[in-house]
Amino acid sequence: MKKLFARSEVTVILAVLLLGLIFAVCSDSFLTSYNFFNMGRNAAVYMFIALGQAMVVIVGGMNLSLGYIGGLTVVAVGYALQEMQVPVFAAVSIGLLVGVLTGLVNGLVITLLKLNAFVVTLATSFVYTGLINGISKGFPYEGIPDSFTVIGRKGFLGIPYLLILAVIALALAGYVFKYTVLGRRYLATGGNIEAAKMSGVNTNRILIIANVASGVFASIAGILWISRTGSAQPSTGVDWMVISFAVAVIGGTLLKGGVFNAVGLFFAGILIVMVKNGLVMLNANVYFEQTYLGLILLLAVSLESIKQIISDRKLKQELKKGAAAVSPKEN
Amino acid sequence: MLELRNISKIFPGVKALDDVTLSFQTGEIHALMGENGAGKSTLIKIITGIYQADLGGIYLDGQQVEMKSYRDAVEHDISMVSQEIQIIPEASVAENIVLDRLDKYSRHGHVDWKMVRQEAAKYLEMVGLDISTDARTELLTAAQKQLIQIAKALSANAKYILLDEPTSSLTSYESGNLIRLVKKLKEEGVGIIFVSHKIEEVLELCDVVSVIRDGKYVGTRECQGLKRAEIVKMMIGREEANEHLGFLDVGDETVLEVKHAVAYGKTEDVSLALKKGEILGLYGLIGSGRTELARLIFGADKMDSGEIYVNGARAEIHSIRDAIEKYRIGYVSENRKEEGLILDFPVGTNISINIWHRILNRFRKIQTDKEKEIVDGMVQKMQIKTPSVQTHAQNLSGGNQQKVSIGKWLAADCDILIIDEPTVGVDVGAKKYIHDLIWKLAKEEGKSILLISSDMPEMVTLARRILVFKDHRIAGEICGLNQEEKSYEEVSQEIGRLMA
Repeated sequence: MKKLFARSEVTVILAVLLLGLIFAVCSDSFLTSYNFFNMGRNAAVYMFIALGQAMVVIVGGMNLSLGYIGGLTVVAVGYALQEMQVPVFAAVSIGLLVGVLTGLVNGLVITLLKLNAFVVTLATSFVYTGLINGISKGFPYEGIPDSFTVIGRKGFLGIPYLLILAVIALALAGYVFKYTVLGRRYLATGGNIEAAKMSGVNTNRILIIANVASGVFASIAGILWISRTGSAQPSTGVDWMVISFAVAVIGGTLLKGGVFNAVGLFFAGILIVMVKNGLVMLNANVYFEQTYLGLILLLAVSLESIKQIISDRKLKQELKKGAAAVSPKEN
Repeated sequence: MLELRNISKIFPGVKALDDVTLSFQTGEIHALMGENGAGKSTLIKIITGIYQADLGGIYLDGQQVEMKSYRDAVEHDISMVSQEIQIIPEASVAENIVLDRLDKYSRHGHVDWKMVRQEAAKYLEMVGLDISTDARTELLTAAQKQLIQIAKALSANAKYILLDEPTSSLTSYESGNLIRLVKKLKEEGVGIIFVSHKIEEVLELCDVVSVIRDGKYVGTRECQGLKRAEIVKMMIGREEANEHLGFLDVGDETVLEVKHAVAYGKTEDVSLALKKGEILGLYGLIGSGRTELARLIFGADKMDSGEIYVNGARAEIHSIRDAIEKYRIGYVSENRKEEGLILDFPVGTNISINIWHRILNRFRKIQTDKEKEIVDGMVQKMQIKTPSVQTHAQNLSGGNQQKVSIGKWLAADCDILIIDEPTVGVDVGAKKYIHDLIWKLAKEEGKSILLISSDMPEMVTLARRILVFKDHRIAGEICGLNQEEKSYEEVSQEIGRLMA
């Protein structure tokens, strides 16, 4: 039992169940298939956003430009569809290319110039924001063909396609980290970059791959967001940075790196969406929404620390007791 | 008089200090000795306020003093000179000397630089350092930095100065200067607490020596007339076994040959040849070129010129992965916790890290059952004491961690092992085990080992040929150890001659 609770995803699952119960009791419209379908779609996009952040957090880095990569993808795809009239397949490819290139820029600058991920992605987030505004002039692209929105709006057996995609992506990532050499070396780099280097891991290559993966997941989230809403809004992504950290961290991705938890990430995505959704259902003042989210993130990051402090203190007390019990005998 | 009364300090899982009572006088050089892990550094940190004792107290001339930080210690005229109290590299010499009392040299928040320079110059002269007060500290040598720390301590009016392994990174000439300064300070009434590993140095310089072992106070002796063996006995709790492990069956074939290896600032024209089944010792000070050479062989650093041959063929080692996979060279790092292990990862992952690419199925999936088999086998073979292979490496004792960091190279079938300072931070029992293990690797499994160590007894016990490094070069070789038994004294004198 104790072991079960020690697993980081169990806390999240319990939180989801508890919160679900509260909302179900307090609101009639929470427990409807329509609401669940909607929450599933949103949660799926959040899972991709969180995957984008997790990819770099695992190697001890971060990506502050994640939301703007998503926004730039949305603008690029919207521009391609509306202004260039390219087919859907080509537009999606352009979107993914945006993720690869932006991630590559982040990764190359970080590794080649040996710079801190914080500064680099802070700077590039401005670069990408400028590109978003410059290309779109702030106007949304509405000429999105219907075939583009099938994935984002329809489902299979009542489960949104988006959620199915997210689960496939999470499962794939889980497999890579557990069963492939690249995934294992990726985690080792996050666990201790020096030790990984001394075991022959090309850590610079891993850091670049991590940043590209982060960019790609951000652009997938951007593409799916267009598909979900049916229009390409340049403002997409401005709130992703906090959400990406919140979902990743609540899902058990340790900020110091080295850990990936697919199950935790899945439930953390659902948790965040439920909080947002539930607040609306409970007629809470939605203008304060970000305050609630911020507090939840703070709680999630504190939880590990608090656990650690308590267990350290306990251990010390026990040892002191032990010392007091032993020393009289020695004297 | 600076007294420690009944000091105990507990860390999660270990009692680092257990009821230690000890006193230091002014005008005395008092050596503090003990093995790695005996609790010396914890004790030093308690004396200087960096750690707080869980039980017991510190008394200055009979008065109990509360010390919650290093700053408090400085207030009570106690200063430390060590690698750990870093000086600020970007700041000038003068700034570093007065740093913690900058407020005394300022008016209304404005620093009076003229006064600072004057003060600094005074203390620089006192420690015999002939450099400008405006020199940037990062450009100085290790010895100069130490002298600056001493100047800093003197300018703070320190009555007690702790010197933590002061000569370990100095050349013999620099050490000589430092020792003269320490003697002068003693004459002036400063109490010196001298932490050192070097018994000979302690016997020559100090007035008294106190020893701690396994966190407990063992005793204090006058250095006059004290024998080396007595100190060793106090430190390890038994007679220093003059054990001779025997002779190795060294093969004829040369498995590793380095010819004229040059890496600017690291090694200058170093050549060596390692035979199959041999333990070749590389002895020297930190920075003398031993570890630097090891990193060249392992592909961690680039050579500027020179050649490496493995099993007689020219080896092109461009990366660490080349060294491991093409030439089966393993490197057991001296920094077990920083470079050797991923402490937050399971023991199993730490052992299997080098073999993942070898246990793939046809879909390139790692076969976890094979991984488990290899890991379990290694845990058993190395007798690693761990609750399970899932236990995180940080929860193991120092000795068992070291077994893991050696085991990962054995799992990867490395035939050439570079083992760097294998018993640093390892307790006495585990030390003996690790020595036996290294010996068996060479004797029974025919592994060829380059052993890097600054622990002379360890060198003499294990190595059957010793290369002595000095100033990035090989100063000489001690051979014949595999043909006839030589006493420790004989070998250490020979090494001393080569180092001089």
